[in-house]
Amino acid sequence: MTAAAVVSPVDDEAVGESGRARSIAGHVVLTLLSVACVFPIYWLYATSLRAPEDVYSLSVLPWPLSLENYADAFAKTDMVGMLVNTTVMAVLTALGQLLVALLAAYAFAAWRFRFQKLLYLMFVGTWLVPFQVTMLPNYVLLSRLDLLDTLAGVIIPTLCSAMGVLLLRQHLMGFPKELLDAARMDGRSSWGILWTVVVPTLRPVLAALGILLAITAWNEYFWPALVLRRGNDVVQLGLRSFMGTEGNDWGPLMATAGLTCLPVFLLYLVLQRHIVNAFVRSGLK
Amino acid sequence: MSRIHLQGLTRRFGGVTAVDDIWLDVADGEFLVLLGPSGCGKSTLLRMIAGLLAPTDGRVLLDEADITHLPARERDLAIVFQSYALYPHLSVARNIGFPLRARRWSRDEIQAKVAEVAAVLDLSELVARKPKELSGGQRQRVALARALVRDPGAFLMDEPLSNLDAKLRSSTRAEISGLHRRLGATVVYVTHDQVEAMTMATRIVLLDKGRLEQVGTPEEVYDRPESTFVAGFLGSPPMNLLTAEVVPDGDALRVRAADLDLPLGITADTPPRPVALGVRPEHLRLTTPDAAGIRGVVRTVENLGSEEVAHCVVGDERLCLRGARPLGLHAGDPVHLTAAPENLHLFDPGSGRRLAWQPVPSFSHHPPPLPHPAPSPI
Ligand SMILES: Nc1ncnc2c1ncn2[C@@H]1O[C@H](COP(=O)(O)OP(=O)(O)OP(=O)(O)O)[C@@H](O)[C@H]1O
Ligand SMILES: [Mg+2]
Repeated sequence: MTAAAVVSPVDDEAVGESGRARSIAGHVVLTLLSVACVFPIYWLYATSLRAPEDVYSLSVLPWPLSLENYADAFAKTDMVGMLVNTTVMAVLTALGQLLVALLAAYAFAAWRFRFQKLLYLMFVGTWLVPFQVTMLPNYVLLSRLDLLDTLAGVIIPTLCSAMGVLLLRQHLMGFPKELLDAARMDGRSSWGILWTVVVPTLRPVLAALGILLAITAWNEYFWPALVLRRGNDVVQLGLRSFMGTEGNDWGPLMATAGLTCLPVFLLYLVLQRHIVNAFVRSGLK
Repeated sequence: MSRIHLQGLTRRFGGVTAVDDIWLDVADGEFLVLLGPSGCGKSTLLRMIAGLLAPTDGRVLLDEADITHLPARERDLAIVFQSYALYPHLSVARNIGFPLRARRWSRDEIQAKVAEVAAVLDLSELVARKPKELSGGQRQRVALARALVRDPGAFLMDEPLSNLDAKLRSSTRAEISGLHRRLGATVVYVTHDQVEAMTMATRIVLLDKGRLEQVGTPEEVYDRPESTFVAGFLGSPPMNLLTAEVVPDGDALRVRAADLDLPLGITADTPPRPVALGVRPEHLRLTTPDAAGIRGVVRTVENLGSEEVAHCVVGDERLCLRGARPLGLHAGDPVHLTAAPENLHLFDPGSGRRLAWQPVPSFSHHPPPLPHPAPSPI
């Protein structure tokens, strides 16, 4: 978007020489920013593809290529099991959060009830409470419920996503009210309207939010680390096996990290339009 | 088909009274138009009938049954919205069938009924499309079909034509009128467009600031406006309203102002009384300078094609004159106008209510009263 605006010839003509200078400056800044964003990721994959003895090499191109680090990573950890576990965790978390957010947002947007504002503020306020504050009580509760070291223990306490509620409520506030009224006149109950009108209409938004939540869940490290303790059930924790007190085993660590990022990148490549759309629509940009 | 009775229906939003104590009976098979300017409470009233909005006060009866507290989906009413409110994710056929699915009809029954209604509204070719692939007029017909498919007791329509262009609007108007005649359905129709009201209504309800101003057939509200609001709302241009005074002259009454002197055609004697004189632009006729009448100056002349409208000033008030083209008037011309007594309307300048002449019985010892508000004809 920004780049397109900068190079548009109309802009150049309208503002003349100073406009061209500004356009060049814009490109320089954008290029620098892009490099700053992309380079660490490039370096991660480059390192993972070097032969184990070249891991500390500073050459920009990894040569000769080697998959030894990946073989090492698969040998030392249950990589497939971790990837499956992580996928299950991310998908269940996202679906659960989506359901809770949908119901809460629908109530806040389509209904009028007592203490609505207060409840909404409290809901959103949980977003402001740092994770470190709720971490210990949640941990204690999980241990009482005997859910430590289980995926359920990772998923259940995170089911309410304040961000999800906030975003969906925003969308639902903009939902044409006459559509809800029409469905009421056509004989649907409030519950029926949610599933036959609201959800199908909001499908793109729900899909995008779901992806966002899944990615967030996928990338989570600290909470799974806490609940799963010494177990390496999810891939983010598998990374720990290559970090030691005597130094890190960089090759397989990078390979694992590379594999960890891969599903997210693939998801992004396939659904890029939806994800960008979700951010644009939510007004978050 | 059904009758609807509104009894003292009122709705307040905080300090604003959007609908104020409306009493109204809608007869079976009637095409009732709620007409009024923007913000007068038409939609609020309709939404209360539909059950989409709870009234602050009053009752809604459908065929004598009190439905005030019945949820919208249990009322036997269908509504067509200004925005059409089609379900964007469903095809035309599924949009039309939606109310039937909600009522758990069988698949075959729904298919048959949808096909029947689609044929009536000339939508058969479009049933597979999504709403966004339709033109405005087609969307409007789908919305109509979705209301029709349920065979409801009554139809409620909230400005269903206002998103259409002028040509489509007049053809759809005829279509809805035809549908109403064929089905004999009860319709409550909201609009702020007086042409729609005049052409479609069996009765018109004029609303102003949430209050009921007048109820009557199109002819009644046009020919005998009960208030200056109704007089100034209907007609294009609307009725001219001039400040004047009713004075006795010999044994007859005349209406007079600085540049105005017209006979009222009433034989009576009464002390002078200030009034608002109403006269429709099409009822003004040009006359000779020496005759009694209205003296003004032409400001502009508008060409409407078959007719012309001359905008004049009389003293410091405006006055419009409408007649077949050419009127033979030009900006700056002095004009002398007159109108027949039966085309003069008198209103109370304070309350704005219509004044009617009511002769006092001859045995009275009181002097004949002023013309005063009364429902009886002059
Ligand atoms: N939900 C609401 N909250 C507060 N005020 C409202 C609400 N709905 C309507 N009003 C007010 O009630 C009055 C009547 O509104 P309404 O929508 O019935 O007007 P209308 O006659 O349908 O106008 P229009 O021709 O523009 O549609 C307006 O003054 C409006 O501001
Ligand atoms: Mg309205």
